[in-house]
Amino acid sequence: MKIAVCIKRVPDMEARFKIGADGASVDEAGLKFDMSDFDGYAVEVALQLNEKSGGGETTVISLGPDVVQETLRKAMSMGADRAVHLKADKIPFDSFAIARALAAELKVGAYDLILFGRMAVDSANQSTGPMVAELLGLPVVTAASKLDIANGTGTARRELEGAAEIVTFPLPAVVTIDEGIARPRLPSLKGIMGAKKKPLESKPAQLGEPRIAVKSMELPPERTGGRIVGEGAAAVPELVRLLQTEAKVL
Amino acid sequence: MSILPSRHQLPLPLDRIILRDAPDVEAVPMDVVFVGGGPAGFAGAIELARLVKRDNEAGGTLGDIQIAVLEKAEGLGEHNLSGAIVNPRALRELFPELKDADFPFRGPVTGERVYFMTGGRALRIPTPPTMKNHGYFIASLCEMVRWLGVQAESLGINVFTGFPVDALLVDGDRVAGVRTTPSGLSRDNTPGSSYAPPTDLTARVTVLAEGTRGLLSQAYYEWQRIASDNPQIYALGVKEIWETKKPLDAVIHTLGWPLPPDAFGGSFVYPLDTNLLALGLVVGLDYQQTALDVHVLLQRLKQHPLLREYLDGGEMVEWGAKTIPEGGYYAIPKRRSGDGIIIVGDSAGYVEVASLKGIHYAMQSGMFAARAIFEALKKNDTSAASLTAYDRLVDESYIVSDLRARRNMRLVFQDKTIYTAGPQAALMTLTNGAFPGGKIESHADAEVAREETAEEPFVPDGKLTFSKLDANYKSGNATRDDIPSHLIVGQDIPPAVATLYQHMCPAGVYERQGDRLVISPANCIDCKATDVLGPRWTPREGAAGPHYRRM
Amino acid sequence: MPNVFAFAEARGGQLRKVALEAVTAARTLADAAGGEVHALLVGAPGIGEKAEQLGAYGADVVIVIEHAGFGNYNAEAAAAAAAERIKSGGYRAALFSASAQGRDLAPRVAAKLGVPMAADVTSFEPSGDLIVARHPGYTGKVIFTVTLAASPAVISLRPGAVAAAEHRKAARVETAQPVGDPSAARVIVTEMVQGSSAKLDLGEAPVIVAGGRGLRAAENFKLVEDLASAFGNAAVGATRAVTDDGWRPHSDQIGQTGRLVSPDLYVAVGISGAIQHLAGMRTSKTIVAINKDKEAPIFKIADYGIVGDVFEIVPALTEAVREAKKHH
Repeated sequence: MKIAVCIKRVPDMEARFKIGADGASVDEAGLKFDMSDFDGYAVEVALQLNEKSGGGETTVISLGPDVVQETLRKAMSMGADRAVHLKADKIPFDSFAIARALAAELKVGAYDLILFGRMAVDSANQSTGPMVAELLGLPVVTAASKLDIANGTGTARRELEGAAEIVTFPLPAVVTIDEGIARPRLPSLKGIMGAKKKPLESKPAQLGEPRIAVKSMELPPERTGGRIVGEGAAAVPELVRLLQTEAKVL
Repeated sequence: MSILPSRHQLPLPLDRIILRDAPDVEAVPMDVVFVGGGPAGFAGAIELARLVKRDNEAGGTLGDIQIAVLEKAEGLGEHNLSGAIVNPRALRELFPELKDADFPFRGPVTGERVYFMTGGRALRIPTPPTMKNHGYFIASLCEMVRWLGVQAESLGINVFTGFPVDALLVDGDRVAGVRTTPSGLSRDNTPGSSYAPPTDLTARVTVLAEGTRGLLSQAYYEWQRIASDNPQIYALGVKEIWETKKPLDAVIHTLGWPLPPDAFGGSFVYPLDTNLLALGLVVGLDYQQTALDVHVLLQRLKQHPLLREYLDGGEMVEWGAKTIPEGGYYAIPKRRSGDGIIIVGDSAGYVEVASLKGIHYAMQSGMFAARAIFEALKKNDTSAASLTAYDRLVDESYIVSDLRARRNMRLVFQDKTIYTAGPQAALMTLTNGAFPGGKIESHADAEVAREETAEEPFVPDGKLTFSKLDANYKSGNATRDDIPSHLIVGQDIPPAVATLYQHMCPAGVYERQGDRLVISPANCIDCKATDVLGPRWTPREGAAGPHYRRM
Repeated sequence: MPNVFAFAEARGGQLRKVALEAVTAARTLADAAGGEVHALLVGAPGIGEKAEQLGAYGADVVIVIEHAGFGNYNAEAAAAAAAERIKSGGYRAALFSASAQGRDLAPRVAAKLGVPMAADVTSFEPSGDLIVARHPGYTGKVIFTVTLAASPAVISLRPGAVAAAEHRKAARVETAQPVGDPSAARVIVTEMVQGSSAKLDLGEAPVIVAGGRGLRAAENFKLVEDLASAFGNAAVGATRAVTDDGWRPHSDQIGQTGRLVSPDLYVAVGISGAIQHLAGMRTSKTIVAINKDKEAPIFKIADYGIVGDVFEIVPALTEAVREAKKHH
């Protein structure tokens, strides 16, 4: 199969974030960057599908400044065959602008399957994959926790609140991948050396004018000590009352 | 009751580390492999790449020389930790085209103060001549290493992060390459779902730049029966990075409290930025009480008014620990090269403890290794006889003359207290090492008997002071919990020894529960203190351990 | 164009709570501009009966599309119907829930309309021609405030962010036809798996009950499981100490080296609160802690705490939760 995986370079989420001087970005000084977690799963799924079918080609695509080439190289060191870098000064927040730029590239690739991570862990919009599918007129399954492809038909499982649905769909299609589906492999030493020689094409991203902009960013207030409702089982009725009337979670 | 740590320590499993196997048929062929991406390994790799490039440009016939740097941390610099005040000498020599301002330093040392501490007071004392740092630079070793890594990659060096090495491949006495550790093993050492097998790399020269207490370096010295006049001895440093409200205007060193008089060590506080400082406490591992705990002592130190002035209202943002080889001149192995191998940096013991310096010696030794290897490659002879040029270069350099001048200064403290050893050390400085003449004998740390002492309970407040578990979190250690144990623990550890281990380990790997020793290997941050005094340390899968950012 | 569109999510012939939340939010926005709320309700024949309930929460008009092809969630047909209606209705804004279904549906609709969207929004308000919305990102560690310049403004609301509130309207019901044949959708749901609470994934469960070393032994985890099943929509989690001791599988571990979770309700049973663990759950919306040590760090971040013996308190809480669920 010809599979494309769209991946995003994001900061390591273990970091303690600080807001940048402009008040509308995260201060990137000292941060470590890597492929968004969900995208790692998507790359792994693509590699496994092509390994199982005994052929095919996996292309990884990323949009952003030149540093995203590191992320593309990493995916190629895992086993992806080639990479496309859609060059942009920065990665916009507007998923639709990104979706249009990706769709323009994907349209010409004649891919059987286009994979995304369920979301980018930084912007957390969960929108780019389904938007790309609509722009390309392809069927789409979001947040797949299982995925099988056989004879041009896909079968996927989607987790819902308290339930799950099993869906089938024809190829070509877009699928966004949930975490836990397949643990991403670590690049091997040979993979890392081989990735240096794999083709990486860089071209300008066709981003339009964004219509959703980040006005400001802030850190959520630190949790301040809550209250001790009481001691022992005697405090249970009061806790239940608070959960019902105040927190409204019961 | 008195305890001798060595009695409970197992020997290194040489049969697992020195492998006579032929390299795997799929082995990756390299010309030169550097084990360890620290200052020594990168300086060596960069110097070698430049020498080869220059030679090829001048019509030499070396052609394409493949150089690899293997680093066990997930990302560059993430296992590097130092004070650090850096003497720029080696960097200037490595990059003659650059200016000091181009180097990844935090800033020059603009003022320094030394204090002798008591519980409530800090007595400012004159800066000892060996500790004068004017002209040097404050730096984060993590940041330096990351910068060196970028330079290395731009020279075409293969930088592999996340690849620890746990064995040397040998053919007779010749080192022919290395084997990386497997990853994805389950707790019972069987391959798990994300298993990746070891990879062999062959090399004409293997350079061990493993840093402090290197496993392969130790194994090589032992296998080849390479001795030193005195055994190597170590100190443990525990370090924190703080965001502060009040800026610090000078580098501070302290002696005395909270260390007991029979322990050797002191603290450092360095400004990294207007609102960022590094502080740490370094204690010799020849301390004499089972309950001495360097992490807890650092927590107590922070409660001193001298430090509270800066730390109150601030936040601890990073924590880590590392051992330091402190044996100096007499602990340098007789040779640090052999057939197909060179050992550089901390693994060779190039640290001068009186001035608290090692980084520029490490880099310089890597550069000497590169020069010896370059000549060896040119004459296509990487035998022991050819590579011994490295030992000569080091022995005739400032590395050895500096260490020789301070040869007894650390050793005098081993059997004495700071009150009697201090004046002697001062005399040594004045006489450039000539006083008192001869060599002071020293013992390996594990051969120093420990008195069983009761611990003084310490309750961290979570703001100024932290438990080991909470501190460990700030090292960025996210080692998976179902990793097999990488520690080789002796049988039937007595409770008093369990107490020693619990306090010796800053990361909370060892815990005494009742009379039992409980081990949490995933907590390990590779400081190697355990390898010095307790269970032997071996490398785990790549990317395990801490993720230091600004240490 | 002061009117506001709301998508009324249903599953298995029933309205979901998030449908009422979307209608409530739409009502607030419409009232600010003196407009109407138009809710779209798609489902199998019979779904129209739920229109009145949408009216009770503030819908002026309920557009009902009944078709056998809407028996299960039919993303393609639902997106086509929503986009068609939004386009023809000239709405100021279109509200969806950021539920599993809404997260799938809203971006499709936005793309069909050719507009960007604000996703997983916790609060929003109009500001002149713009919509200003807040949205958590970076695993809950950073809050974005975004301005949406597009018209209509497509927004998906984080479930629970807006409390559904009654606002009685006698909704006018309009029946409409699907766009194309819903049965001809390319993505077809072939099976619904009703999840039992024990199988709920930690990342999806609205409630998590987690246990720590304070439970003293593996078999005492039954207390935690019982409490989780009393909630009905809860998953069971554990601390690293517990998974290290083999009381629970490593996949249950919440914390820096395990899963990062942010459920609506997190109940910490016998957990002292090492930073390692707190790092994995501190973004939970409401945190309850039960621990015998009143100095335990978990109480510093818990909204509600009970100090005391978990073996006495947890069974009492399980009983009380079961009772509360019965009357709901």
